[in-house]
Amino acid sequence: MTADRLAAEESAGGSIVDVALTVNGRSAPVRVEARRTLSDVLREDVGLTGTHLGCEHGVCGACTVLIDGQPARSCLLLAAQVDGAEITTIEGLAEPDGTLHPIQQAMMQAHGFQCAFCAPGFLMSAVALLADNPQPTRSEIREELAGNLCRCTGYQSIVDGVEIAVRRMNGDSSGGSS
Amino acid sequence: MTAPGHPQARENRSGLVGQSVRRVEDDRLLTGAGVFVADRNPDGVLHAVFVRSPLAHARITSIDVAAARRAPGVVAVITGAEMAEMTHPFPPFLMLPGLYTPLFHALSADKVRLVGDPVAVVIAESRYLAEDAADLVDVDYEPLPTVASIAEALSPTSEPLWAKAGGNVMMDHTDTFGDVDAVFAAADRVITERFDCPRQSNQPMETRGSLVEVDAATGHLTIHNATQSSHLLRWAVAALTGKQRTTTALKRFITNKQRRRAFFAGAKQFVGTNRDGLKEQDNAGPLAQLKKDRSFLGHMNKIAVGLLGKDDYPTVKAQDIGGGFGSKGPVAREDIALAAAATSLGRSVKWIEDRTENLMDGGQAREESLTVSIAVDSDGTFRAMRVDLIIDQGAYPGFPIGAPLITKMMKVMFPGAYRWDAFEIRSRVVATNKGRYIPYRGPWANETWARERMIDVVADALGMTPAEIRLHNMIGADDLPTSMVTGPSIDETMSTKQTLERALELIDMDQFERDRVAAAASGRRLGLGIACYHEAAPGPPEFWDCIHPGTGMLTPEEAHTTVEADGSVLVYTQQMPHGQSHETTYAQVAADELGVRIDDVTIVSGDTDRTPFGFAGTGGSRGGPIGAGAVRTTAREVRRQLIESAAGMLEASPDDIEIVDGNIHVAGVPARGVTVAEVARRAADDGASGDLHGAPFEVADVYNGAGDGGWSVATHVCIVDIDLGTGLVTFPRYLVVEDCGPIIHPAVVDGQVRGGVAQGIGAVLYERTTYDEDANLQAATYMDYLVPTAMEIPEIEVHHLETLSPGENDFRGVGEGGMVGAPAAITNAIEHALGARVTTQYLPPTKILELAGVIVPG
Ligand code: FES
Ligand code: FES
Repeated sequence: MTADRLAAEESAGGSIVDVALTVNGRSAPVRVEARRTLSDVLREDVGLTGTHLGCEHGVCGACTVLIDGQPARSCLLLAAQVDGAEITTIEGLAEPDGTLHPIQQAMMQAHGFQCAFCAPGFLMSAVALLADNPQPTRSEIREELAGNLCRCTGYQSIVDGVEIAVRRMNGDSSGGSS
Repeated sequence: MTAPGHPQARENRSGLVGQSVRRVEDDRLLTGAGVFVADRNPDGVLHAVFVRSPLAHARITSIDVAAARRAPGVVAVITGAEMAEMTHPFPPFLMLPGLYTPLFHALSADKVRLVGDPVAVVIAESRYLAEDAADLVDVDYEPLPTVASIAEALSPTSEPLWAKAGGNVMMDHTDTFGDVDAVFAAADRVITERFDCPRQSNQPMETRGSLVEVDAATGHLTIHNATQSSHLLRWAVAALTGKQRTTTALKRFITNKQRRRAFFAGAKQFVGTNRDGLKEQDNAGPLAQLKKDRSFLGHMNKIAVGLLGKDDYPTVKAQDIGGGFGSKGPVAREDIALAAAATSLGRSVKWIEDRTENLMDGGQAREESLTVSIAVDSDGTFRAMRVDLIIDQGAYPGFPIGAPLITKMMKVMFPGAYRWDAFEIRSRVVATNKGRYIPYRGPWANETWARERMIDVVADALGMTPAEIRLHNMIGADDLPTSMVTGPSIDETMSTKQTLERALELIDMDQFERDRVAAAASGRRLGLGIACYHEAAPGPPEFWDCIHPGTGMLTPEEAHTTVEADGSVLVYTQQMPHGQSHETTYAQVAADELGVRIDDVTIVSGDTDRTPFGFAGTGGSRGGPIGAGAVRTTAREVRRQLIESAAGMLEASPDDIEIVDGNIHVAGVPARGVTVAEVARRAADDGASGDLHGAPFEVADVYNGAGDGGWSVATHVCIVDIDLGTGLVTFPRYLVVEDCGPIIHPAVVDGQVRGGVAQGIGAVLYERTTYDEDANLQAATYMDYLVPTAMEIPEIEVHHLETLSPGENDFRGVGEGGMVGAPAAITNAIEHALGARVTTQYLPPTKILELAGVIVPG
C-alpha cells in the first residue's frame, strides 16, 4: 500500500514530496518519494501503464512522453523535476470521444507493430516529430525515430505508418495505399 | 492467392484468410490499454530484487543478511541456502547420449558461476527500498579461476564449473549418416574452414517478469508471467516449489481421492497418446547422466511424489507479452524463487527484470564454433560433409531446452537443401562462466550460416559462382520424393530451389557489376551474398524423431472451439502470443471455417485454468501449422454440428446447408436462414452444455500436423555497400523470396520476415554479448549492446511463392526464417565485397577495416 511504502521511505531517510502534474489534460497531484522517477509515478501512482519501460537507462525510448509538448524519456526524470508540467502519454492521444489520433489510425492501417511494447514510445516520438515537421521525408522519419528501439518489426512498417499519418494529417483522408 | 480446387480455396468461406485484415490486438495496444505483466500492481504487492554475484566464478564463504533484514520497508530476505530448503533443484529434462546435465537451484548457495548469479532475494514495500537493502547484503567470496571461452573450457586444466562433470565438456557425441570416410577418400577435393560465432542475446523490448499473487484464503497462486509457455511454467512451479517431506506428500496423495483419480486419468491419457514416443526413448542418455551423477534419481522421485501430494497447482496467466524470440520459453530460476518466496510469505510479490539483468542472464545465444569440411568433386558436386560443432552453453543449462537439444536440431538441418552421400557431425557442449545459452529465433540457425558460408568458400576454390554451385547441388522438383541424408523426407514444399531461381531473376547482375565498378572508384566496395535454407515448420511427421527419438510426442496440439449461447465463438489455444498476432490470424482461420464474421470470434490464450494443456507454447514456428491446424480442425467440427442442428429447424438436409456471415441457410436462400446465435440459443435452451466450458457447442481436438508437408523455405539475397573510410556497411538492396505456403495474413508474414532479418543484421554488424578474459560482462547496458535502430535497418523486399502441399492444413511457420537466412547472406556479401575470407559472424567497423586491409589487426 502506498502509505506503507511512503512510511518506509521516510524511515529510510528519504523525503516525500507533493508533485502537481497535469496528465492528458487532467490534474493529477501525487505525494511520492523525491527519488521516484516520472515513469514510475505515471505508471504506478497515476495508474497510466501505457508508458512502458524497456531499459530504464535512456536508450530504448519506450518511456517517451511529451512534457509541455516536447518528447522526453520519463525513465531519466524524477517526477519532482517536472512539478507543474503538462504531460501527455499514449492514453491522451485519442479524442475524449474515443476517436483515434491520426498516428494511431495510420499505425493500425500499416500494421505498424507486432508485440507493440515499443509502440507508446514510437507514437509519442512520431507525434512530436509531426508537430515539428509536418511533411518529413522517409529518411527524415527514420532519422527522427532512431531514438526508439523496436525488436520485432525491422522498423519498415512503423515508418510506413508515419508516412500514412503524414498523408492523413495533410488532408489525404484515405492515407493513400499502404 | 490460393489455387482453385485446392482444399484451402474450397474452405475459405468468408475470404478472410489471405487478407491483411485489421489487427484485433491493435485496439488496445495502440491506445495504451494493453496489459503487460509490469502493468499489474495489485494492492499491497511487494517488490523483489535479486542480490547477484559481482564475480564470475567464486565460492561463497559467508553471507550476512542481518542489516538488509533490518532495513526500512524490508519484509524478507531469503538466501540461497534458505531457498534450497524450500525448493527442489532443476532436474535434467532431456537426457541425451553423451550428455551430463548439472542440477542447480533457483538461488546459488555455495558457489557462483557467472556475473549476475543470484545468491539472495530481497522483498520490500517498494523496488527502491528493496534495491537499497540488496546493497546491504554482505557476501564473502573466494574467487576461483574463470572459464571465459570455448578454448579454455576444452582445456583439461580449466577449473570445472560443475564438480561432477569431470571437466567443462558437458556433452560429446557424434552422429554419422552414410560411409563418411569412404566418400571423403573418394572425392576429388576436401576443403576445410572454421567459423566462429560470438555470443548474442534475444533482447525482447519487454524484459522477463513475474507477479505471483497469493490467495489469502486458499494459498492458491496466480502467476502473471511474460512466458512463452504458460503450462510449462505452471508445472515447473508445481514441481519445484512447495517442497514437502516425501511421507507427507504420499500420505496426502493416498488420502485425497479426487487427486488420485485425476492423476491416474492424466497418466493413462499421456501414456495412451504417447505410447510410440515413450517406447522410442532409449537408455543411453539416462545412463550417461547416471555415470556422472546419481543424485537426479532421488530428486526426481521427490519431485514426482511432491506433485502427487499437491491438491492445487498454480494458475499461470498472461495477457500481453512484449516479444520473446525464445528467451521467455525456458523457465527462469527467478520464476521459481519468486513463487517460493510468495508462498512462504503468503503475500503477492512482483519482479520485473531490469535491462542489465536481462543482458546478464535473461538469455544468450549462438556462441558456437563450427569447423566444416566438404568433400567435393572437381565439377562442383558435393559428396560429403563433416562438422565439428562446439556450443558454449554458459554457466547454467537452459531449462527445459538448451544447447544439447539444439545440437540435435543442427545435426538434422546442417545438410540443407543439397544432395549429399554422407554426413557426420561431432557435437560438443561446454560450460563457461557466462549467461545461459537458450533458444534464440531459429535456434539451429548457425548450421545455415556455416554451411552457406562454406559453400561460398568451396565455390571460390573451384572457380564457380555462389549461384552456380548452389543450383548444381540443390534438391529440385526432379529429385522428389527424396529425403535429407539426416532422415527427414522432402516433398514439394521444400521449394528452396524455386526461391533461389526467383531471387536470381529479381537481381539485375549486369547492373550490379556496373554499380560495383562505380563504387570502387569512390572508396566503396559492393558485394552480393546469397543464402538458402529450409526449415521444419512443422516438418514431415518423422521430423522430431530424427532430432531425437521420442521428442515427436511434443508435436500435437489441442484447441477448443465453442459457440456460446449468444452466438459468439470462442477459440481456446495453448499458444502464448507475444507479437505474432494470433488473435487476428486464428480468428481469420476460425471465421472462414465456420462462415461467421471475424468480430464474432474471440481467441482465448494465456490462462492455464481455461486453455488446453500443452508444453510447447509459442515457438518453433508451430503457430501457423500446428496451432492454426488445431483451430481449423475444431472449427470445422463445430460447423458440422451447427449445420446438423440447424437442419431440423430448416427442414433440409445438412448437405444442402451453408453458413455465410453467421447465417445458416439452404444454399442460395439466405433469406430463409437462421442465425448461429439462434441455433446456439435453442441448443442452450435444450440443455446442451459442454464439459469443458459449458457452451452449447463445444469441440476439443488434438491436431498433430502429420502428413501435411511442412517445410518453410527461403532465399535471401543482399547487396552490401562498404565505406572503406569508416568501415560502415549499408544495404542498397535486401531481398527475401520465401515460401511458407498459403498465407493467412500477408502483413503479419512480411513483418515476421523483416523482424528476423533485422535481428540478423544486428547479429552481424552491431550486437555482441562481450565478456573480458575473466568472464566479466562488458555489455551490460544498451550503450554497449547495440540493438539496431531505424537508421541501420534497410527496406526489406519480401516476395512469396505460396507452394501448396497436399495436406489438409497447409499453413507453414514463418517466424524464424528471417533470422536463419540473414547472417549467412550478409557475411557472404561482405566476403564478396572485400575479397577477404570471413570466418566470424560479428563484423563491426574495425573488423571490416581489418578485413579490407585498411587497418592492421590490433
Ligand atoms: S525506458 Fe526510458 S529510454 Fe528505455
Ligand atoms: S513491436 Fe515488439 S518491440 Fe516493437
